[in-house]
Formats: sequence, C-alpha cells, structure tokens
Amino acid sequence: MGSELIIKNLHANIEGKPILRGVDLVVKQGEIHALMGPNGSGKSTLANVIMGNPKYEVTDGEIWFKGENILEYSPDRRARMRLFLAFQYPMSVPGVSVANFLRRSLEAVHEGNKPLEEGENPTGKVGKKRGIPPGEFRKLLQEKMRLLKVDNSFINRSINDGFSGGEKKRAEILQMALLQPEIAVMDETDSGLDIDALKIVSESVNALTGPELGILLITHYQRMLNYITPDLVHVMFNGRIVKSGGKELALELEEKGYEWLKPSEEENGEAAHA
Amino acid sequence: MPETLLSGFSRSAVEELSRRKGEPAWMLEKRLQAWEIFEKTPTPLGRRGDLGTLRMFANFRFQDLKFSPTSDANASLPTSISHSLEQALVNQRSGLVVQHNSSVVHIELNEELKKQGVILTDLETAVREHPELVQQHFMTNCVPVDSDKYTALHAAFWSGGIFLYVPKGVEIENPFLTQIWLDEPGLALFAPTLIIADELSSVRFVQGLDSAYEGEQASLVHTVVEVYAKSAARVEFSNLQDLGQNVWHITHKNAVQEKDGSVTWVLADLGSKVMLSNIGVDLVGDGTAGELVGVFFTDHDQRYAIKTLSHHTALNTNSETLVHGVLTDEARVEFDGMIRIDPGAQYTNAFLADHTLLLSDDCRAESIPGLEIGADEVSASHGATTGKIDEEQLFYLMVRGISKDEAERIIVQGFFEPVLQRIPVENLRVRLRRSIIQRMRGSYESEADTWVDAQERWEIEDVDEYAISLDSSTASDDEIKLTEY
Repeated sequence: MGSELIIKNLHANIEGKPILRGVDLVVKQGEIHALMGPNGSGKSTLANVIMGNPKYEVTDGEIWFKGENILEYSPDRRARMRLFLAFQYPMSVPGVSVANFLRRSLEAVHEGNKPLEEGENPTGKVGKKRGIPPGEFRKLLQEKMRLLKVDNSFINRSINDGFSGGEKKRAEILQMALLQPEIAVMDETDSGLDIDALKIVSESVNALTGPELGILLITHYQRMLNYITPDLVHVMFNGRIVKSGGKELALELEEKGYEWLKPSEEENGEAAHA
Repeated sequence: MPETLLSGFSRSAVEELSRRKGEPAWMLEKRLQAWEIFEKTPTPLGRRGDLGTLRMFANFRFQDLKFSPTSDANASLPTSISHSLEQALVNQRSGLVVQHNSSVVHIELNEELKKQGVILTDLETAVREHPELVQQHFMTNCVPVDSDKYTALHAAFWSGGIFLYVPKGVEIENPFLTQIWLDEPGLALFAPTLIIADELSSVRFVQGLDSAYEGEQASLVHTVVEVYAKSAARVEFSNLQDLGQNVWHITHKNAVQEKDGSVTWVLADLGSKVMLSNIGVDLVGDGTAGELVGVFFTDHDQRYAIKTLSHHTALNTNSETLVHGVLTDEARVEFDGMIRIDPGAQYTNAFLADHTLLLSDDCRAESIPGLEIGADEVSASHGATTGKIDEEQLFYLMVRGISKDEAERIIVQGFFEPVLQRIPVENLRVRLRRSIIQRMRGSYESEADTWVDAQERWEIEDVDEYAISLDSSTASDDEIKLTEY
C-alpha cells in the first residue's frame, strides 16, 4: 500500500488568529489533488502546517503520514519521511550553490525517518565519508537536469539568490525531482510565472508524476490545471474545505468564481471574509 | 630554556632592554621618546554609551605583565608546531618567519629572491644591518609612535619583529608566511612588522597569530603592521588571528600608498579575549587603491572594537571596506568604519559595508559607519546591517531534511562566503573555513570538509545542450510579496 497523508479536523492559528478551522483531507501516493480557493482562505497556512512551520500553532486535529502522527515532528524529520513542500516564496541562501545544497539535502533525506539527537547532523555522520559519493550524485543530477532541461550555470549559482520568479520555482522542482518525495505539497507554484515559464515548470511537474508521487497542488487560478490534470479538486474557504469534486470543478470555478461556494453565516457560525 | 623576564614598564626598563639588545643609540632614543609619549598620553576611553571595550583595556593591569629584555637566540618552538609550520605551503612560499614569544626563532628566504635583493629578517637585525630603511619607515608616518597611548608603549618595548624589503620591480607570486606564537602566561608581546614594497614590486604576506597556554592569566599581544607601497607597488597582507581566549590583543595596521600603489588587507579575527583593532589605508598618492576585507567570529564573552579608516588625500583614489562578522553567546563587537576624504581629493570612490549576524539573544553588535567628505567630485557610500538568522530561511533549509543546527551552520557559511571568496591565498581560505567551522557549536570532524566541498563547482556532462533557460531578467516576485494565509 502506498503512503498516505491524512489530515483530520486540523485547526491552526498564526499570532493567535485562527486560520485553519477544521481541515479534513487525504492525499495518497500516486494521486494529484488540486487545492483552490480565494486569497486568505488558508491554503498556504495548510502547506506550512503540514511541514511544521513553527510560526503556526496547531490548536486541534491531527496530521498522519505513513501511519505516524507527525504533528510533533520537526520539519527536517518530516522531510526525511519524504514529505516535500515546494515553496511559494523560496528563500535565498547566499553563498551556497544549488548543487551543493542539493547534495547535502539528498544525504539528509536518505537518512530516513528517525529523530535526531540535539546537535546531531543527518549528513556525513560516519567519519569523513559522505553519504552520497560524488559519482552517484553526478549521475542522479544529470538525469534530473536533463529531465527538467536545466544547465550547469543554474546549479552553480547561489540558491535562489538573484533568481527570477521562474528560476526560483524551477529550483524548487529540481529539488523535488532529486529528493523523490512520496507526497509533495506545491504552494502556488504557478504564481509569478509568465506563460512560457508556466509551461516549462508545468511540464517539469508532469515529468515527475507517477504512481510513486502524490501531489497536493495549491493554486489560486485554474491556469496551471490546463497543463497538470488533477484527480480531485478541493475548494477551501475560510479555513475549511467546502467542496470537493473531479477536475471539472476547476473549470466551474474558473467560470463562476468562488463566491457561490461561500458558506452561509449559519453554516459557518462566523462571518466569512475573503 | 625560559627567557629571563622583567616586570614593570618604566624608563629604566626601556634602557635596560635596549642595552641588553645592544641597540644603536638612535633606537634607544626612539624608545625613550616613545616612553615619554606613553607617560603623557591619556588612556583612550571610547564614547559614552559604547559597548565599553576601550574602558576594559583602560582597566587592564599592564603593570602585572612581564616582558623579555632580550631575544633568546636558542628559543625554539614545540616540535609539532614547528613541523606543521615548516610544512605549510612548502615549495609554494617565498619565505617564512616565526616569532616565538619575544624572539624570532626561524627565518627562511627563497634563494632566488635573496639574489634579487629581497630582504627578509627580524626587525632587530634590520636595525643593525639596514638602519637607514628602519629609521625612515619604522613607526614614523605610517603608524606614528604617538597614534595613541598603546602605540607609544609598543614603540618603547617592541621585541623581535619582522622586516621585509622588496626591491624595485620585483614581483613575487608566492606568499611570505609569518607566524607569531605565544605560550607564556602573563607575557607582554610587542611584535612589529614592517613591509616596504619598492616601486613596481608586488608581494603577498600572510601573518598568523596563535597562542597556547592553559589558565586564566592574561597575556598581551600587540602587533603593529606598517606597509609602504611605493609607486605602482602592490601589497596583499592577510592576517589570521586565532589567539586563545585568555589573551588580550591590540593591533594597529596601516598602509601608506604612493602613486598608483595598491594594498589589500585581509583580516580574519576569531580569537583573543578582548581585541582593539585599528586598520587603515592612507591613500596619499594619485591613483591609489586600498581594499579592506574582514571576517570575524566571536563567542563566549569576547569583546572586539574594530576601527577602520580609509583616508583619501590624493586624486583618483579608490577604497573599499567589506566586513562580515558573526557573534554568539555574550560576545560584543563595536565596529567603527570611517571614510575620510580630504579637500582636494577629487574623483575619489569610497565604499564601506559592515554586516553582522547575531546567533544568540545575549550578544551585541554596534556599528557606526562614518563619512567625512571635504571634496565635491566624489562618490562615497556606506552601509551596515545587523540581524539574526531569518526564521523563514531556517525553515526553508529544514524542509529539505537538514537539522536546525546544520541549517544555521549553512547560513553562517553562506554569510561568510562572499568575503572569503575575496581572500587571495587559497591555503588561507581553506584554513579559515576550518577554523570558523571548529568554532561553531555541535560540529564534528567531517564538517570542515563539508564546507570546503560546499564551494565545489559541479560540471555535469550532456545537459547544457538540452537546457532551456528561463529569462533571469524577469523581475522576481519578491517585491509583490504579500502576507497570504
């Protein structure tokens, strides 16, 4: 049986302000889910909470991955379980190249799911021997670079430092390709891309899909779904998933907007705002 | 073979020291004048409200220190140290000078360079053998004796020291290595370095400062480094200070540059308990260029006061100062960076930037960049930032499977890297990366290498011809970053 990400009745706050108000969602390996919704509905918060961003406080509910409740796990441990987040706004790390960062990250993820002692480092633990020999890394990198049509100058730049919007998103996909997650959350991967970049990035994502990868694709617009076909579409509103359906739901949203899905005051119990 | 040590600085101690060294009268005279200046110069106390590093020095018990009145010709280094020094850049160095406590114990100079007229020796020997060069240049107008109270004390009690003269037109690629090594608790060590690069010459110079003794007893290491770059000469001076945290350290470094000369200071400060560092470039000749590149890493209760001065007095001069520092624990660092452009120093370009990263809640950094501009056709800018590691940056690395400790280390490494890249001597760059890594908490043996190959460039075959480039000129979406929930 493939890996499953199970989210149950998830509630989360930022700075005391409730954002998620009971999210239920199951994403299985091999499936593509699109999560749509207006700005401020909680989509990005959900992505961050799944990875354990300490900025958010989980007040209720559970997140299960591969049969373990991961709520208390650190972000790095979740990643080593092969959970992945492609960031909406990837951070730059000046002075560290894409390739060298990828190598260390890959070594860490290969260590797998185990808690780390204070100060323990998942990489390079055994004396001076590196977890992944250069030859093996080179081969893997070559394969993924060809798949994503990335050149050498790209991987030798400082990570995200001075990257254009499109390059940042591309670096995220390259990381995803190399780390081979079982479930990947992709947060607004289409934002900030012009039409050409959107096409290249979408094709890259398509090249990675298959029975080994489950995707939760968060998007504000329908346009990325022209390239990537979801199995299921969910609509988020005011911190809850208010409707789920097939891929035709995305087209319906494109046509009608989000307003018709807005929960009524009685249903929601509180005033909804978008 | 312990050196005979005296305690207490005094006029008679100056006379005793000069007599035992068998110095010529002019040097005794210079020392005695320096002692007078020391006695009448007030102790520098800093500004009201600063972090108090100068005041700590004002309360330092100089009179408890011992000093050596002689240079011990038989002094030697522990075998392991001398062995590693002798191996450093062997076949790739132009010369090596080692000062152990107050005595120079090793001098070696490439034979070919000797034939070309290069002089490398200890300063005491230079006083006897090259009096005219020393009289003209030693603590005169580069680091004058009366710069402050401490330079005066240095001039009165200096010992050992390093002297390098590079003749006109001699260009030397391989660096000169020099090492100052202290292992005597309670010692006052005043070690001067004088470098004279004659017209059209070029030279690279590396100086290491280290110490090894146990216990709390304070020693003092005071270095004065003077660089003269004559017309169109180029000098690079790199300094790696990794003294023990029981050592107090003062340094005054300055470079006087004549027409079209250029000087680069590379300063890496990791060690010592309290440090006062004064570094300058004196751009007195037209078309000169001065560069100052610095990194520091402080922890525990280390205190640094770093003062830089880019002094432009001629036409068409350039200066650039770039300092990146990291503080943790309860360390405190004051940085005072000054660009001074005299009236008439037209067409000056001057730039200064100081960036510090704070890793703990209890460390403090204060940065005061200053500009004094007396000419109108100039371009001068400065900037300073102080901040903590960005939590979102940390989260980003952790989401890639990297533990929090290592993520912090990667960010710190990346923070230093732009400055390290500017260090011209590869060997020093590698040593410095290792030293910094060793200072970071929770590191083990493999990581020094990890950083080294984190700089490795990867060339993957058979990918470029398939690549499609995304337009990197497209504006990043950072500027429209909104808070999205």
